[in-house]
Order: sequence, then C-alpha cells, then structure tokens
Amino acid sequence: MTDENNPLIPPMNARQTGAAESKDGFDRWWILVAIVAAIILLLVFMKPDPYQRMILFVRDGVMVTLTVTVSSFLLVMVLGLFAALGRLSKNPVISTLASVYVEVVRGVPLLVQIFAWYFAFPSIVQGIGDKFHIPAFQDYLANPVGMAILGLTFCYGAYMSEIYRAGIQSISRGQMEAARSLGMTHFQAMRYIIIPQAVRVILPPVGNEFVSILKDSSLVSAVAVADITRRGREFISTNFIPLEGWMLVALLYLLMTLFASRIVTWIERKTRITR
Amino acid sequence: MEPIIQINNVKKYFGTMEALRGVSLDVNKGEVVVIIGPSGSGKSTFLRCINRLEEYDEGSIIVDGIPLDSTQHINQVRTEVGMVFQQFNLFPHLTVLENVTLAQKVVRGRDKAEAERVATQLLEKVGIPEKAHAHPGQLSGGQQQRVAIARALAMNPKIMLFDEPTSALDPEMIQEVLDVMLTLAKEGMTMVVVSHEMGFARAAANRAILMDNGLIVEEASPEVLFSNPKEERTKAFLSKVL
Ligand SMILES: Nc1ncnc2c1ncn2[C@@H]1O[C@H](COP(=O)(O)OP(=O)(O)OP(=O)(O)O)[C@@H](O)[C@H]1O
Ligand SMILES: [Mg+2]
Repeated sequence: MTDENNPLIPPMNARQTGAAESKDGFDRWWILVAIVAAIILLLVFMKPDPYQRMILFVRDGVMVTLTVTVSSFLLVMVLGLFAALGRLSKNPVISTLASVYVEVVRGVPLLVQIFAWYFAFPSIVQGIGDKFHIPAFQDYLANPVGMAILGLTFCYGAYMSEIYRAGIQSISRGQMEAARSLGMTHFQAMRYIIIPQAVRVILPPVGNEFVSILKDSSLVSAVAVADITRRGREFISTNFIPLEGWMLVALLYLLMTLFASRIVTWIERKTRITR
Repeated sequence: MEPIIQINNVKKYFGTMEALRGVSLDVNKGEVVVIIGPSGSGKSTFLRCINRLEEYDEGSIIVDGIPLDSTQHINQVRTEVGMVFQQFNLFPHLTVLENVTLAQKVVRGRDKAEAERVATQLLEKVGIPEKAHAHPGQLSGGQQQRVAIARALAMNPKIMLFDEPTSALDPEMIQEVLDVMLTLAKEGMTMVVVSHEMGFARAAANRAILMDNGLIVEEASPEVLFSNPKEERTKAFLSKVL
C-alpha cells in the first residue's frame, strides 16, 4: 500500500526518474528490467529442470494474476473516482457515506476482506435466497476469480479515492473560479480544467497503486484462485524445491512490477506540463 | 437608460465576520469604475459578488437586467461578465490558443475554426499573436495577464471585472497590461477595476470609489477623489499609498 497519510508522495520509481534520466531522455532503470529478464532466461536455458518445467507449469497462473490485477485496477480507477467525488460532495449524506466507506475499508486487513468476500458474501446471498425463495440466490456459489477482483477493487477503491481527492484538492481554487467565471458549469470545469490537471498530479501514486495491486493480488491465492503464487506453491510442494521455486516466483513478480513502474514513468513524462 | 449593473445593499458574512456591510452601486453602460481601499476592506469580495463567485447573504444584484437568483441566471450572467484575476489563473495544461478557445467552444458552442479566428484576433489585440502555441508557463507575467484578458474577451462580455490585475507583476510589465485595459476603456467597455494604479484611474475612470471596512466610504471622479477627497478616511488611506 502507498503511504496512507500522504498519497501524493511520489513512489520510488517516480522519484528516481530525475537521477536515472540521462541526457538523451533514456530511463536507465530499464537496464534493471533487462537484467531481471536475463536472469530468468538464463535459469530457464541453463537449468531447464526445474526452471523450464516450472515456468511452463505456472504459465496459466501468470495470466490469472494479470487478469485479476488489470481488471481490479480498471474497476478501482472508476470506484475511486466516485468515492473521491463523493467525499468532496457538498451533500452531507453522500460525503458521509463515502467517508465511512473509506475509513472502514482502510481499517480492515486486505486478506480478511478477501476472505469475507469469498466466504461470507455467498452465505449472505444464499440467506437472502432462502428467505425470499429465490432459487438463483439459493444456489449462488462464489466464483473465486470474480470474488478476488471484487475484494481487491473494494479495498483499493478506498485508497485510490484518497489519491484522487488529494489530486483534485491540489489544483488551486483559482482554476475552478477562472473556469466558472467564463460561464462553464461545475461539470465542465471538472471535465476540462480540474481533472486533466489532477490526472497529471496523481499519475505517479496511481501507478504505484497498480504495482501494489499486482503484488497484493498474491493474497487471492488463499481463496482458491490459481494465480502465480498458488500455481508456484503447487509445483514447489510436489517437486520439493522450495529454494529454487520461491526464487523463481519472486523473480516473476519482480519482472512484472519493475516493468510496470517503467511504463508509469514513461507515461508520466509524456504528459508532463511545461511550467 | 437603466444601469447595466445594479447593486443594492449587498451584505456578505464570512462566519460572523461581516465582509460587506451594505454596499450599493450602479454602473452605467460604458462606464469605468475604479475601486481602491486598504487590504481586507472587501474589494475582492464585492467584485466577486458581481459574477457570483461569492454568494452574498442580503441585498440584490441585477446585471444587464438579469437578477442573480437562480443557477441558470448565474451562468447566463457569467457568460456576459469577464473576469481578470490578480494571479492570472490561466489553465497551465492548455496552450495559449486553447486557453482562449476552450470556453468559446464549450460554453458559446462555437466551432473550432470560428473560435480560433476570434482567439487569433484577440491575441493580436493584446499584442502576443506569436505566443499562440506556447504554454502559459513559458510566458512572462505581463504576457500571461494579457492572455487572461483575451480569454475573458473571447466570450464577448458586456462587462469586465479586474481584481488587482497588475499587482502580481514586475514593475516593468505593468504598463503593457494597463495599455490593453486603456484600449478597452476607450472602446466603451463597461469595467469595474480594483486597482491602485492612479495613472490608469485618472486616464480611464469615470468614477473612483474608496472602500473601507466593507462599506463604500467615498465616491467621486478620480481627480476629486485622489487630489481633493472629502472624507478623512480617504485622506488617511491616500497619504499611506501615495
Ligand atoms: N473565503 C474567505 N473566508 C473567510 N474570510 C474571508 C474569505 N475571503 C475574504 N475573507 C475576509 O473578508 C475580508 C475582505 O476580504 P477581501 O479579499 O474582499 O479584501 P480586499 O479588499 O480584496 O483585500 P486585498 O487588498 O488584500 O485584496 C477580509 O477580512 C478577509 O479576511
Ligand atoms: Mg483583494
């Protein structure tokens, strides 16, 4: 998770950019990505047993991890925006609801939330089904991947809303006033003036959230989702290779997170405002 | 002919603090009114009430026959009243040209070509056509303020409000902005200007007003107000400023 109290502190990747950026604009941290990729390839070719076998075995887990991460992230971006606008709303009911959501979610460990979605949520649905005799509800069974995405989204939406909120508030009041004085509606001012600027401010922390979701998605292996972690553990326990196995799992995550960080830095640089 | 701005006994509170304590003012079409006064006297608050950036608690304001009472009326008035801020408030993520065309497109519904034609004309008028594709951050303060004026003019306002438009500028850039404002005044634009630039007031203003403590203390022609004021408070204020 990002620093909860200060969501606007840029993540490491963004802060390092300045130092790592050479004159021609090349981001030197790509070299680290290449090194990690090279190590994985080297292991696979030099020692096909167990590395190549294991890679082939966890391949579908990589797809599951990416699916869970990307779907959650996209939903988090939407949910976070609504929650942030809710907290900033002048309507006291809406802002209180949004605040309660954020505070509650931030106070419960993610793993517990994931268990709750997977085990508790279906029994609530079934209970409703029994009570009102709705067969579709009575037979409801949790879909592991679906519940995993829901759990991650619900949790990270709260963190994301704080990032959005800080981003929106970081745009000076004068921007909204200038837009309104030109006759734009509140919505138009948000759409054309505030949000485009806020997006640039929040890009580094949002990118950091993507990396966090990617890492925390390993928790969903606890509820029968066959992601990298779970597939890795299966392979390791049948082949008795804890050292090599967990090292390879770690390297795979590292490759993905480092790569994602570079992409974020790249987007960030593309959208930088000339001041 | 009835005044284009009619302000009647406007009061405004911030919590328990009374920022405006019953201000009335009529401004005729084509008139230039300059407001001076000490810091915290309510000049900005008053100006911002005219286009309802600030809500007032009592009294009434009618702009060009439209009372500032409903959201619809407020938006309608805002399209007719341009405002220029001390801190320019240009949109930093847009180019100069986009700054001047955006509201024309989304509020006035002009197409791109038409909006750009208007913008180019106005950028020429304020003397910086060559900066159309620069970002605000690449301009000097004086240039930014001139773009801000062009941005407001692009909506074809009937009234322009200026809140200390030159007080954030380096001294050598003040005149270029005042020159643009003088031209506007000569062309017959109705203007309400908060500014302590006496030279501008003498050259352009029909009336000068001293505000103090949320009230209009004195109202006269600039010559009289600056050289021969009646009120003690005006004299005291001028002796500090001059
Ligand atoms: N948003 C606000 N919340 C609370 N008080 C405010 C707010 N805006 C202004 N005030 C107060 O209202 C009074 C009038 O402020 P205003 O900005 O209108 O003064 P001003 O004459 O424009 O001063 P200056 O010359 O410093 O710009 C001041 O005492 C100020 O502190
Ligand atoms: Mg002021």
